[in-house]
Amino acid sequence: MDPHIISILKHEVHLIALFIMGTVYIGKIIWIMRFKPMVERTPSKGNKQKAIINSYLNIAMPWEMESTRKKWYVWTEFAIFHIGVAFAIIVSFIVSFGNESLIDKTIFQNFFMVLFPISFIITLIRLARRIFLPVNRIISHPDDYFSIILMCVWFFFASWFVYDLYNTLIMGIYLAITAFLIAYVPFSKMSHYILWPFSRYYFGKHFGHRGVYPKVRVQ
Amino acid sequence: MNEINQNSTRAHKANEAFKTRMNRQAILSFGVCVHCGMCTESCHYYLATKDPKMAPAYKADRVRKLYKKYFDWTGKLLPKWVGGGELENEEDLKELMDITFGSCTMCRRCSFNCPMGVDKALLMRTGRSILYEQGIAPQGVIDVAKDQWETGNQMGVSEEEYLETIEWLNEELQMELDDPIAEIPMDKPNCNIVYAVNPREIKYAPQSLLAAAKIFYAAGESWTMSSKGWDNTNFGLFSGDNKLGAHMGNLVFDSVERLNGKMLVTSECGHGYRATAWESPNWTGRDLKFPIFNFLEIMVDYVKSGRIKLDPSLNPFKVTYHDPCNLGRSGGITEEPRYLLKQSVSMFQEMYPNRADNYCCTGGGGAMSMSEYSKRRLETAVVKANQLKETEANIVATACHNCVDGLTDLIKHYKLKMKVKLVGELVADALIIDKKFITPTFKAPEIEEKLILMVDDEVDILTYLSTLFNDNGFNTYTATNYENAMEFLTTQKPDLITLDLAMPGKNGLSIYKELKTNEEYKDIPVIFVTGVNPDNPGQLDHRKFIYEHSLPKPEGYIEKPVEKELLLKIVRKCVEVKVDNLN
Ligand code: SF4
Ligand code: SF4
Repeated sequence: MDPHIISILKHEVHLIALFIMGTVYIGKIIWIMRFKPMVERTPSKGNKQKAIINSYLNIAMPWEMESTRKKWYVWTEFAIFHIGVAFAIIVSFIVSFGNESLIDKTIFQNFFMVLFPISFIITLIRLARRIFLPVNRIISHPDDYFSIILMCVWFFFASWFVYDLYNTLIMGIYLAITAFLIAYVPFSKMSHYILWPFSRYYFGKHFGHRGVYPKVRVQ
Repeated sequence: MNEINQNSTRAHKANEAFKTRMNRQAILSFGVCVHCGMCTESCHYYLATKDPKMAPAYKADRVRKLYKKYFDWTGKLLPKWVGGGELENEEDLKELMDITFGSCTMCRRCSFNCPMGVDKALLMRTGRSILYEQGIAPQGVIDVAKDQWETGNQMGVSEEEYLETIEWLNEELQMELDDPIAEIPMDKPNCNIVYAVNPREIKYAPQSLLAAAKIFYAAGESWTMSSKGWDNTNFGLFSGDNKLGAHMGNLVFDSVERLNGKMLVTSECGHGYRATAWESPNWTGRDLKFPIFNFLEIMVDYVKSGRIKLDPSLNPFKVTYHDPCNLGRSGGITEEPRYLLKQSVSMFQEMYPNRADNYCCTGGGGAMSMSEYSKRRLETAVVKANQLKETEANIVATACHNCVDGLTDLIKHYKLKMKVKLVGELVADALIIDKKFITPTFKAPEIEEKLILMVDDEVDILTYLSTLFNDNGFNTYTATNYENAMEFLTTQKPDLITLDLAMPGKNGLSIYKELKTNEEYKDIPVIFVTGVNPDNPGQLDHRKFIYEHSLPKPEGYIEKPVEKELLLKIVRKCVEVKVDNLN
């Protein structure tokens, strides 16, 4: 690929995408804050702080919920997938604001060479689940399919790129998809990134206030 | 054409109503779902049917589509892309009613299994509220809500009937405790506790109020009930109507303030406790000066402080505990009932899963009043039935009147060998007062020549009932069918009728209708004494029949095999109390 295009992708396009994402995220937070929260008028029965912390940590405690206890493999997929997303974004930053040579022949490159292909396979499994499992199919909308296909393609090129760091065509495609992804995220289901911290906060606060959360579990 | 306009008007109004329902918690629960499907297998509706349309996320999406259309940024431009849409016609409204009322008990089990923290009960209640505002809800919900608005209690019990029932219960209490001054205090000011109950305790299950009275007596508690604002239940929670929620909350809170009570205690009712203790202060906007407790918490305090003593050998059964959703998942009460049961029964058997992970009794969210969904409810109850069966217990204890009804129904339907009891009833049965065991035995009251007409096609049941009633001082007359009963009624007016529902020829419900629509007979109290046909539960759904024909509720309802003592209590209540019979 033309080095000039690569440079634009690395810098201008990446920055524009980040700007869009940042602006929309800030806008979304302001929007959320404009809705009044339901406030409890009763004295608290439980420990709200503990409940809120527990609510956040729930993500890292697959034994906490029956759903993740029973479907431990889905939780494992979820964990690897999200670590993959985080690192695939980090790699794009390293390439854009530093240089691809920074990861060349490092332990990190080896790590990414394992992580990204596994993440790619997980996206395929998730896509297949959405298409073939009746429940997942019935709860899926075009945005769900588009988002997972986008992730799938992205991981495919991210995997290829970490194997072939100096292939400018692959790098160009990888950076272009990353930029699109960054800009598209706030408009799609992927915006759960921004809603999740709020949602888990209120979940912990509400059920903590009423003495339900953290759950007592004596099996 | 007119109909079409009306249809679209209601749908349009429901859409508009939705736009006014958002608060921060709601937009987050509507917005954060990633459609991962992890909550699917936590719902008893899905587990029992394997129908993808019963998956919590699908059901939530039927309400969520409005959020996507009106609030989601992308959905405003491209609604179809994100699953957005409007309610367009009567069909859409009907579908939404079927989902929000008929396919979800708002038990929140799925919410506790969602990694994102989506509160599905909040979404379902939002859906219910926009429908209810347009007059769209199961008839039972509409009727009960109307009763609460008009009479201040969900069973339309008149003040006269309420007070006479309490008076009658006082006599029972004195008899059982052998103490002529034992009483259920009424409107006594400056007490420690103002006790609010579920109207079911006045109407059909006086034994639970009697149990509470015994416990208060044994603890030497200063307590009272109120002649006004005594119903702790609240159909505002189920209908999504916050105004009704506030109205019911205000009635009870006003009572406590009027009587200058130090605390409000709700009897064993899951949603009653949740609505009164947690939701009503928010709905009413009142900053209360008194605390609110559940009766379970009070009993634990009595046991721990030595104010009451229990002997577990008095309940020589294997007892398990069912956590009501509104206590276990929405009320923070899980350990109190376990503590009490371990003190009052000889063998406690845990049920799995339990506490906040327990399955709904299938009667939650007002489902017991929605007769149009009884068949589906009982079909999904297989999950609970299996859970109960595995405990191999003789008794399933619970702390909610609604759960008592839900569990009793499913136990019948799935032919389980179990009985349902409230925790307080078991505690009362295990009470030791002055080293003398209090046993739930009954002495025949002095009843003068009260006549009971018993209508049942099974002769052995008639024989059994006549013996029971005769032994307890009643006169009886038996009729095996409609014709016999009506013939008898032309010659004599009984003081009470016990009526079987499933009979060949004209069934019990038709007889009931005839009685209650006839000026001459409509004041005679009627008790349904019946069994459910497990293969066809909807066939004689008396609740549906009563709602559909705008009939008053019967004065009593008891299922076969008949529990002798309970039947006698209800019969005595009916003949000793002059029932106002306005329901
Ligand atoms: S588990 Fe939560 S995020 Fe996943 S489908 Fe269910 S409600 Fe949505
Ligand atoms: S709240 Fe309960 S009944 Fe409703 S969808 Fe969730 S699990 Fe099912």
